Amino acid sequence: MFKFKNAWILILVIALFAFGLFGCGDDTAAPVDETPEGDAEGEFEGQVLFGIMVPITGSEAADGIDMENAALLAVQEINAAGGVLGYEIITSTGDDECDPSKATAAASKLISEEVVAVVGGYCSGATLPTLALYGDAGIPFVIGAANATSLIDENPGWTFMINSTGDAQAAKAVEWFEGLGVDTIALVDDGSAFAVDLKEQTKMQWEAAGHSVVAEDRVETGTQDFSAVVTSIMSANPDAVYWTAYQGLGALLIRQLRQDGYEGVIMVGDGSSAQELLDLAQAEGEGVYCTAPPVVDFLPAAQSFIEGYNENFPREPGAYAGLMYDATYLLVNAIERAGSFDGEAIKDALAATDGFEGITGPIGFTPQNTLNRSNFVILVGEGGRWQLAE
Amino acid sequence: MTTWEIFLQQLFNGLLVGSFYGLVAIGYSMVYGIIKLLNFAHADIYMSGAFAGLIILGFLNPYIGNQWLGIIVALLLSMILVGLLGVAIQRVAYRPMLKAPRLSILITALAVSMILYNTVLLMTQGQYKPFTTGLTHESFYIGALRMTETRLVLLIAALALMLMLHLFITRTMYGKAMRAIALDRDTCQLMGINVYKIIAITFFVGSALAAAAGIMAGVYYGTVHFFMGFLIGLKAFTAAVIGGIGIIPGAMLGGLLLGLLEAFGTQIPFIGSSWRDVFTFVFLILFLIFKPNGLLGRMESERM
Amino acid sequence: MAEKKQKKFTNPFGTVVESLYDLFDKKAPRYLLMTIMTAFLIYLPLSSSRFTQEIMTNLFFYVVVCLGLNIIVGFAGLLHLGYAAFFAVGAYTTGILSSVYGVNFWLTLPFSIIAAVIAGLAIGAPTLRLRGDYLAIVTLGFGEIIRLTVRNLDITGGAMGLIGIQRPVLFGIVLNQITHFYYLFFILAVIAIIVSYRLHDSRLGRAWEYIREDEDAASAMGINVVQIRLYAFIIGSAFGALAGSLYAAKMTAISPESFMFIHSVMILLAVVLGGMGKIPGVILGAIIVTLIPELSRDIGQFRLIIFAVLLLILMLYRPQGIWPERQGISTKL
Repeated sequence: MFKFKNAWILILVIALFAFGLFGCGDDTAAPVDETPEGDAEGEFEGQVLFGIMVPITGSEAADGIDMENAALLAVQEINAAGGVLGYEIITSTGDDECDPSKATAAASKLISEEVVAVVGGYCSGATLPTLALYGDAGIPFVIGAANATSLIDENPGWTFMINSTGDAQAAKAVEWFEGLGVDTIALVDDGSAFAVDLKEQTKMQWEAAGHSVVAEDRVETGTQDFSAVVTSIMSANPDAVYWTAYQGLGALLIRQLRQDGYEGVIMVGDGSSAQELLDLAQAEGEGVYCTAPPVVDFLPAAQSFIEGYNENFPREPGAYAGLMYDATYLLVNAIERAGSFDGEAIKDALAATDGFEGITGPIGFTPQNTLNRSNFVILVGEGGRWQLAE
Repeated sequence: MTTWEIFLQQLFNGLLVGSFYGLVAIGYSMVYGIIKLLNFAHADIYMSGAFAGLIILGFLNPYIGNQWLGIIVALLLSMILVGLLGVAIQRVAYRPMLKAPRLSILITALAVSMILYNTVLLMTQGQYKPFTTGLTHESFYIGALRMTETRLVLLIAALALMLMLHLFITRTMYGKAMRAIALDRDTCQLMGINVYKIIAITFFVGSALAAAAGIMAGVYYGTVHFFMGFLIGLKAFTAAVIGGIGIIPGAMLGGLLLGLLEAFGTQIPFIGSSWRDVFTFVFLILFLIFKPNGLLGRMESERM
Repeated sequence: MAEKKQKKFTNPFGTVVESLYDLFDKKAPRYLLMTIMTAFLIYLPLSSSRFTQEIMTNLFFYVVVCLGLNIIVGFAGLLHLGYAAFFAVGAYTTGILSSVYGVNFWLTLPFSIIAAVIAGLAIGAPTLRLRGDYLAIVTLGFGEIIRLTVRNLDITGGAMGLIGIQRPVLFGIVLNQITHFYYLFFILAVIAIIVSYRLHDSRLGRAWEYIREDEDAASAMGINVVQIRLYAFIIGSAFGALAGSLYAAKMTAISPESFMFIHSVMILLAVVLGGMGKIPGVILGAIIVTLIPELSRDIGQFRLIIFAVLLLILMLYRPQGIWPERQGISTKL
């Protein structure tokens, strides 16, 4: 059997490269004006390529896949309704893996494929270095989720953030805590750029309002055991605990806090606003507050979106699905207003957006290209579902 | 909470987490002892165990419920299943590599880890899954210590598993053979020990224990996730080294020590939870410099 | 199951591979091939897309770090699991000096190397006496310490990382296009390859080989084992730091997520897969590890599974790596 060993190696090496080249062949196949195979009736004038940049592998894959689904659903609906300017939309996904260096590669891939515009952006840290790339390439980028305040400074003018930024969320959290009569809070994050940003913003605003932060804790992504952190929080005895990161860890924190007998207010940030949080937190999720982006469940305009999503994908739409869906529609709307696929024209049309009616509410931009209103709402977990608390 | 209450609570927290670390660390330590491999895939075995437990419990639920009885049956079944998975991995990915350069087998271990990890990622679409059980989380006090039934049972179960393993290693033929192979594989072969069989058994036991730890973590924390093995794998590995890698009681001791260290580390001012892991690893490095063979390790003039 | 060299020449395919390797080990064909490849790589950006240039730049970066790690793992036979920490040291040194103190990029390079040497000494000096596997664990721990430290400190920008790192200026041109970085990293990779060959053939290189093959004998012959290993550790760290500095300049923003454990593992994987100690082998490993996951992006979520399966099979059939050192590396490693 040793005889064939080297042959095997050769075949394997060839297979490895063939595998690579197979992928290579595809990345040049980004036609803008090619007649699509599946389009038998030929009702479209051509195709237009949109980029979707989200993490579909890696530790944050769950929300990334959810966002990709939402964008794909929007594209499917738009195509069914005749496309944009008579063109069929096709998409290309760049997987940023929530890793800055992978994100620049993903962005370069999309730029090389000559996408007309990009939607996506989940992890703020990974999204950050791509803003300059899209700006240099003259490609408008509509961010559906990432909302750390540092993104604003790095924006070369081509990026549009339709999720309110961290400071708006912190303001909402502070307002709600004060309404509940809370005076001392504990802040817990997972060390991710996004969560730390929200924590810092909240701390700043909370202390400026004359209250105190009695504990600041951090857990690593992938941790399961929070008991030491919980005991540390309990010993500081805050009136409220605010978790600023994502739902998976958030559910663990909530369960362990409640099981250890913590009776104060628990609130979570928008990273944890998915239904998944309550499913995971189970009974302990009752009465937990959340500063949330406009979650589709409470948006009357979103019912058909939820139905469409459930028909196409084997899961519930997550926290940012609605925003991604809107980001895609907004982009199409801007292209129609611009009347062309020219990047500059689309950018100007996006900037001029005023009162675009998305399922998450009206969209318009500030001079910094951030959402011109705070879109945050307060939700509360009741009977295992999020309900509007206001 | 008074300082005394905090101390007691953190002591218990540390012991419980430490016993989970210990169960996983045993697998690293056993495999290292017998074939000198840092088994990267072990953390993913732990994760696979938790998912196997979740699926089996789902099947069992209509028949025997998801209270303790259901959990115990699911635990045993998935220990066997994941133990066999460990044996299969060993057979396919490690056994052909036993005579290869040491680093190459590390790469196959890595490949297995990537396969397991990405398969579960694909199956769950990266979502956290609730691990629903019928257990209640009513808490009660033992002295000043807040306790739940689940915690108490899990801690006892973890310690019982460790004790059983210890008896297996010290009192049975197989255990004796394992220890012999760890000392000198070639001589064992000459003495008529079926080395491959013993290695397979080692993998079975190590994987089964990791699976048990995975399910216990699922029951305790209430969620499972494809990423859950990574950090505990790193910590358990550290624990195995602190205890003296290759030495089973050392792995248990190392796990408990690391758990306590982390629990109290969180409480120390200026360290707090954000510096906790730095603290852990600095401790590890200092430990290795001053006591290179671990807590229970003997001085050996071994070279790499 | 041990693979014996003399069994290699039994089938035509194997002979082809082996004779290609043989050919490349001779000087004249090697130089010819290298010239052709260099010419091709210099020409490439003129006719390729941005994405191609991006992944090729990434590849050159990987070639540099893999060659750096190869000095530690391949030449000196030390298992290192925290290599990402050393390019984090380089990247952050450049990042802090450049964005906080406004130091010219090129002037930050010596500091970055000094920082890496200090870090290498700090971690290597006390631990290189230990058993080989312990070094692996110490380096792993060190990697995590560096990552968590840069994430927690203010001067390193915390979890958000550092932004606004200045672009380097060369001959009056601000390097801000991907093509600039393509050439910059290409030059760095060429330098790394030349330095690696020089080191391999030097007195130091022979001492490393000796220690790797038989530590006791080397020690008996009067080689200071700890000191020689420390050299490997420091030189390897300096390679990583230099690559890290350039990485910081290219990205202009760096954050702790770029220096995770998994990055250290992928670099090690490239070195071992390609063939430890063998310079063209290591380059081949770097090519496989960077290009395949990038080029197969369109397969989406399946790509990492397929990659892992191929990796496993390849390793099973070629345990010494795809292109190993001729003399055969000790199985004790």
